[in-house]
Amino acid sequence: MHITLNHFEVSIIFALIASVVLGLVTKRTDRERVRYGLYCFGCFIAALFGIGWAMHFLHG
Amino acid sequence: MPVTSSRAAVSPSERSPYLPVALAWLIPGAGHFLLGRRWRAAIIFFSVTLMFVIGLLMRGPLFKIGGADLLSRLIQFGGFLGDLACGFLYFLTVWLGYAAPDIAGHNPDYGSKFLVAAGLLNVLAMVDVYEIATKQKE
Repeated sequence: MHITLNHFEVSIIFALIASVVLGLVTKRTDRERVRYGLYCFGCFIAALFGIGWAMHFLHG
Repeated sequence: MPVTSSRAAVSPSERSPYLPVALAWLIPGAGHFLLGRRWRAAIIFFSVTLMFVIGLLMRGPLFKIGGADLLSRLIQFGGFLGDLACGFLYFLTVWLGYAAPDIAGHNPDYGSKFLVAAGLLNVLAMVDVYEIATKQKE
């Protein structure tokens, strides 16, 4: 049994799981954890689209 | 006025952070569970296990110590430590005979990164357990 995921799906899953753990272990209150988790997820997505478009223009 | 012993009031898990940290390595989330953070334990267990299982389902190869040159050996050793940081998930996988071939392709490549990333997330959880056990954090 195995799964095949494309680059976008892999990136979203990775960002989601990593953001949850980063939010959970780095902050002190639940409110801060949720905010930081959302912030990390937003940063991952921004980097994903930013680097994606950069590669699109650099590689043509 | 009764004199209370501070030693008696301290639970075993508060005396030394090493047991919770070792447990956190062996079973992701177990350190938090031992320290009474059950929701966080459940979330960490679920997250690390999910990341590891997705890596396996993508047929990501596990890193093995060795390599032809120094750079390859360093990469393999670093990856091996990341895999090993998953604790029982890694041992169970090896014990069950999982041996995905190291072939070209984005899926096995991402899979191996997911396996290592699961271990690195567990390392973060272990650091959190240490900070909770030593009262640096709630």
